[in-house]
Amino acid sequence: MYYFDNSATTPINEKVLNLIIKTQKDIYGNASSIHQLGRKSKSTIEKAREQVANAIGANPDQIIFTSGGTESNNQVLWSRLGKKKNHIISNTIEHPAILKVLEKLSSFGIKHNLVSVDEKGTVSIDEINAAISTNTGLISIMLGNNEVGTIQPIKKISQLCIEKEVLIHTDAVQCLGKIPIDVKDLGVDFLSLSAHKFYGPKGIGVLYIKNKNLVSPFLIGGHQESGLRAGTEDIASIAGLGLAAELVTSKIDDHMTKLNNLENKFKTGLISFFPQAIFNGNPDNKLPGLISVSFPGFRSDILMAKLDRAAIAVSSGSACGSGDIKPSTILAEMGINNETNISTLRFSFGSTNSSKEINVLLNTLQLILN
Amino acid sequence: MQHISVGMSGGVDSAVAASLLIEKGYNVEGIFMKNWEDDSNYCTAETDYKDALQACDALGIPLRSVNFSKEYWDRVFKHFLEEYKNGRTPNPDILCNSEIKFKEFLNYAINLGAEKIATGHYVRQKFVNGEVQLLKGLDLNKDQTYFLHGLSQHQISSTIFPVGDLNKKQVRDKAKKLGFNNFNKKDSVGICFIGERNFKEFLQHYIPAQPGNIISENGKKIGRHDGLMYYTLGQRKGLGIGGGYSEKNDAWYVFNKDIKNNELIVCQGNQNPALYHKYLSASKINWISNKCPNKDRLTAKIRYRTLDAPCKIIDLNDDDIIIEFDHTVFAASPGQSVVFYDGEICLGGAVINTAFN
Repeated sequence: MYYFDNSATTPINEKVLNLIIKTQKDIYGNASSIHQLGRKSKSTIEKAREQVANAIGANPDQIIFTSGGTESNNQVLWSRLGKKKNHIISNTIEHPAILKVLEKLSSFGIKHNLVSVDEKGTVSIDEINAAISTNTGLISIMLGNNEVGTIQPIKKISQLCIEKEVLIHTDAVQCLGKIPIDVKDLGVDFLSLSAHKFYGPKGIGVLYIKNKNLVSPFLIGGHQESGLRAGTEDIASIAGLGLAAELVTSKIDDHMTKLNNLENKFKTGLISFFPQAIFNGNPDNKLPGLISVSFPGFRSDILMAKLDRAAIAVSSGSACGSGDIKPSTILAEMGINNETNISTLRFSFGSTNSSKEINVLLNTLQLILN
Repeated sequence: MQHISVGMSGGVDSAVAASLLIEKGYNVEGIFMKNWEDDSNYCTAETDYKDALQACDALGIPLRSVNFSKEYWDRVFKHFLEEYKNGRTPNPDILCNSEIKFKEFLNYAINLGAEKIATGHYVRQKFVNGEVQLLKGLDLNKDQTYFLHGLSQHQISSTIFPVGDLNKKQVRDKAKKLGFNNFNKKDSVGICFIGERNFKEFLQHYIPAQPGNIISENGKKIGRHDGLMYYTLGQRKGLGIGGGYSEKNDAWYVFNKDIKNNELIVCQGNQNPALYHKYLSASKINWISNKCPNKDRLTAKIRYRTLDAPCKIIDLNDDDIIIEFDHTVFAASPGQSVVFYDGEICLGGAVINTAFN
């Protein structure tokens, strides 16, 4: 299998997997128990919390573990319920874990505005500024887009937020290990991460919270995670997440260089035999290794099926429950016409890919496109 | 070996069709087709997809998905609504076959490198002198030629119908033996995109209802209807009128719709001559062989799962056809199809416009 769908999910790092197995087996105490086994579990969790905090320039007490990016996003947005300043500003190319939640919150009286993006997928700060009203309480803009890789000007938006006394959340699920993340430098109040996007396990994620008074628990029950996320902790997954975060950020320069090299090799190779290829997103400010390409005159579902036959995994548009592909709403919001939209594939490279694999990909594509 | 794409619906027939082709040594892939976007709980696409995936996993073949909901909307559903607005009773499944399954899907499969497609329809085909004939399925109770009469030579010859020689029980037994989860899934009935939901509610969503009077055959106003589009000629149930309007207490039947005055005309008793006609005219003719059969005596079905009625063509031009039946037929409904047969051969069909005596 040639796996070029790392933005969907990444294969688990071998060291992380071994740690999970070992933890699952040996560290089975309930972290809320005060006996030796419980204490061992507790310290395992706290070690991971420190690893995550280090990976994003936070303090450990600003980190809570959730079930993933979706839950982290939900927690931040639902926390507006019952707040006086409850108007939310987001944008049209967020993940459904933001957009669908906002839709749902409307029925609870929480209003929102979605600002548009330009043809490269970048939000306009002026438009955000214009959308801020006296009861705006939160702005949520993703750090790097999952389909086209465009990086948003979060730092500038957070400066605006300080001026206007509005909280800012960023969904950074696609970003850890691909660009340096420092929450202080970004100036955000909340940030979401998901372990399976950086060679960790599925079903575990992170919410960074600058100040714990700023959110309410989303899952209510026991006092775990400072009362902000009830439920017995999945210690093995948390340990795996911690290690994965440490591994991907401790050698981030190598990882970024590798992704950039793979991307350049792929793009150059593709243009050499298919010059009409269109690269979507912002070429000057994007996540490395995530490439959205339109193949004018071709249907993405046909291309995908042919690549699949050659054991090459890529993705396209937004797949739904019955496996079919609809035109991408993100590309549509960027003003890309329907024809180009449905000719688009996403290639996303990762640490396990090699230059040789890119050759296989290019050769196969050349056969299919000719 | 030939590469065949099987249209996998999630049902037992297409799953068994795929297995039969694999046994014959073909290189088989499944393709799941989604033709309808729906957020409501009625939509069974996801369940159907899971069933299709399970069958493909059991057979060890890949399953791909394709979405034709835009094409379906533009070319089938719009026409469906238009027909209902005009007080007719369309059959979207017939149009879906000629416009989507055996056109869009066929092209898609060919694009993917398939030489032919296959489906789980209970029909057979026979090649005679370089021409392909569409034959009834051996299980006459399941025969689906009625729905495929609009296909062309190219469409039929590009398709394999592996279950046409089997009966439903054989298909289900085989599915069970192969470990398909859908082996006892009940047959889909009715219009695919409406599924099990209330037909009236569904239609109301798209066409505003215009209630009006129900008029008896002798001109008496005897009740109110909710909108002509909800009624089909020959319909008995759901009229909301009891007996008591005449000496007889026979049930009431719809025998006409007066579109201009928005009136539903009903008569009493299922033997009422007003419900029976000897002639009908139809248009949008398709002859599978591309030419009118040079036969005097044919049989025809004016709805699915009825006995063939002996008839002859008494007038025919490019666009219209007039049929005379040996014996009168019950409630021929405008918008439905009349499908012609010569024994087991399906010759083609047309869309009914009027029935008369």
